Amino acid sequence: MQSAPTIITQGLTRRFGELVAVEGVDLRVAPGQFFGFLGPNGAGKSTTIKMLTGLLAPSAGRIEILGLDLSAHPVEVKRQIGVVPEGMALFGRLTGAEFLSFAGRMYGLDRETAAKRAAELLDFMQLADQPKKLVTDYSHGMQKKLALAAAVIHGPKVLFLDEPFEGVDAIAAGTLKSMLQGMIARGATIFLTSHVLEIVERLCSHVAIIHQGRLVAQGSLEELRAGVQAKTPAGSGDGAAGEKLTLEQIFLSIVGGTRRTEQELSWLG
Amino acid sequence: MTSTVHRRGQLSAIAYLRWRMFVNGLRTRRGKMELVSRIIVTAAFAFGGLGGFAAALGTSWYFVEHDKAEFLAAVLWPVFFFWQVFPVMATAFTNNPDSSDLLRFPLSYRSFFVVRLAYGFFDPASTLGTLALIGILIGITVARPLLFPVALVVLLMFALFNLVLMQTVFSWVERWLAQRRTREIFGVLFILFMLSFQLIGPTMERLQKKPRPELQKAVEITTRVQAVLPPGLAADAIAQSTHAEYMVGFTSLLFLGTLTLAMGYLLHLRLRAQFRGENLSEVEARPTVVQAQGLQVGWELPGFSQSVAAVFEKEIRYVARSGPMLLTLIMPIFMLLVFRLGPMSPMRHSGLLNRAPDMALPGAAAYALLVLTNLVYNSFGGDAGGIQFFYAAPVGFRQIVLGKNLLHGAILVANTLLAWLAVTLFYGAPTPAVSIATLAGLLFAAPLNFTAGNLLSIYAPKKRDFATFGRQNVSQTTVLASLGVQIVIVGVGVAAFAIARFYKNLWIAVLVFLALALITFPLYVMVLRRMDDIAIERREPLIAELCRA
Repeated sequence: MQSAPTIITQGLTRRFGELVAVEGVDLRVAPGQFFGFLGPNGAGKSTTIKMLTGLLAPSAGRIEILGLDLSAHPVEVKRQIGVVPEGMALFGRLTGAEFLSFAGRMYGLDRETAAKRAAELLDFMQLADQPKKLVTDYSHGMQKKLALAAAVIHGPKVLFLDEPFEGVDAIAAGTLKSMLQGMIARGATIFLTSHVLEIVERLCSHVAIIHQGRLVAQGSLEELRAGVQAKTPAGSGDGAAGEKLTLEQIFLSIVGGTRRTEQELSWLG
Repeated sequence: MTSTVHRRGQLSAIAYLRWRMFVNGLRTRRGKMELVSRIIVTAAFAFGGLGGFAAALGTSWYFVEHDKAEFLAAVLWPVFFFWQVFPVMATAFTNNPDSSDLLRFPLSYRSFFVVRLAYGFFDPASTLGTLALIGILIGITVARPLLFPVALVVLLMFALFNLVLMQTVFSWVERWLAQRRTREIFGVLFILFMLSFQLIGPTMERLQKKPRPELQKAVEITTRVQAVLPPGLAADAIAQSTHAEYMVGFTSLLFLGTLTLAMGYLLHLRLRAQFRGENLSEVEARPTVVQAQGLQVGWELPGFSQSVAAVFEKEIRYVARSGPMLLTLIMPIFMLLVFRLGPMSPMRHSGLLNRAPDMALPGAAAYALLVLTNLVYNSFGGDAGGIQFFYAAPVGFRQIVLGKNLLHGAILVANTLLAWLAVTLFYGAPTPAVSIATLAGLLFAAPLNFTAGNLLSIYAPKKRDFATFGRQNVSQTTVLASLGVQIVIVGVGVAAFAIARFYKNLWIAVLVFLALALITFPLYVMVLRRMDDIAIERREPLIAELCRA
């Protein structure tokens, strides 16, 4: 028997005046999935994740998370999810420990538990060696790690991450990845957007691709690969001859994209 | 030559940038509202400025016409004080954007310096100060047309001095308040400064008991000292010209110019550091040994939920780490000192507080409410990107706002208590009737102020950096609305106290305030209850404004 999806969207649409940023997106993310949400710049990824986390109201459509309608039960949903939004949502004039303790209490943990988890998370993220440092003085990578720590301090069932690996060095990325994989192993669901296709390919079991506000592909990596290979004419050089397509090839094949000629911008360098 | 053209291009690009930001800001309804508010606020300032202009014009005309040009210092000193003190007293009403954002561009240091001064020139204090100086110039010219060129040069130099000094003071205070250690030294110095004022009363009494010549001598020394300070120098430069002592006048002007250059050098030291990418963080040197850190358990606030207590704790930490904010919050005590020593001191024979010393506590309490404007009317400004956290967290905005208001209330109570102590020291202990009337006044005023502030914080937010002194963008809508509310509060307060004093019974004021509190407190509760809905309704513009880079 298949369990109910953790995230369902139906006809999710968002307009900004004349511009339709997201149009009729129907998503289904099953429990325990590591779900990658891809798309070119301006495709509507961040708009979608903002709507899924209650940071932006949809113009139309429905969002259901963990069986609850987000618009009807926002607080109940928020209690069970964790978010690292685009701007990381940090409070710069607190120390890391103060911020995590604050985040824990805002998510309903008691003072002692919040403090204990904050210390554990800081230690795990290797942020504990400068306890007096303010968040505003953290490096970008440190801020990313702290934002992730704040998003998981209450043990969420679903985690939404908007570009978690952007500007993060290899060591920090390794820490983040091991934490996320640990969460998946314990049954959490992760919904992530990223431009780094190699990371998505390595981490995610399922992927959806959005392009110009519309969902153009959704499924497991194997399903997407099979779909692209079926459409690719033999001898095109896109891995058609039994060669395994990379996610980048799948992505470019679905979204399209043109290479500009070297003659353009000839004044550069 | 090329660099000059390049620099000119950059400066015009910056001017164009500011213009486009202004024009593009009008695309939204809020932007249009900002423009309307700006026009009204500017008109209000202009009204006040015209008063200063007329007073400066008339007084300077009188002095020059009656061959008392030396007394021009009496006009220039108030202009000087206003120019330097107003921006600190009224940070909520001044709009002085941060120029350091421009450093990503290949901007020369000279251009950066000029831009910083230009931004400072558009501060209301500078504009109003300049208006007063124009008044003085016209007054002098009408009295003696031939003095125009001299007066123009001297007053231009005086204006430049004020402009440079204002920027210098701001940048150095910001530097000193950025580090915990210097902040503590600053705090100790301030306390010593306050305590030293206690010695002035007995000293003055002793002086008054002794024969007059000594007092006369003290006045003479003060006059001589002021003569070598900028307002005195400017007055002297003009006065000497009226006596055809051009060389002496030129020397005073030269001295004023030297002081301007000296101030400019101090400003240069700060701006140069900023230009080189100075970071005023509180980071300590990286420890070689990892420090063991005990569990930091959050605060508990009896009677309030976890989330309210957490917000309250977070707000306290923000304010405690903001030197500029702390400085603003101790201003009521500073103002009591100014009143104690200034022309309204009870040590003198005339003055408001001499006639009504019982009004010192209500006045200080009203000012304590006024200095909260920055915090109360833009309570999410300091959170910046953190606003997304509030929206993502499973907590209603009424709890978040309540946590913030608890901090505002705590500061107000603390400031009023300090003011009570200061009034007791300076003027004698306030009577129970005055103390209770002041308390009742706050019970009426604080909920009204918090209600308006909570609404404005959501409807007209502006990102605010708690670490910088001045150099902030303020919402003109907030300026206008907060000004309106403060006028209502002060107006009602003055009226209530006036009626009570007329009937020689301050308990009347207590009754009036308590009756008004019965209206404002339920209003506060009603708006607080609506906060969740209002915050959801304003979610997008609030996040967009505060998360802006």
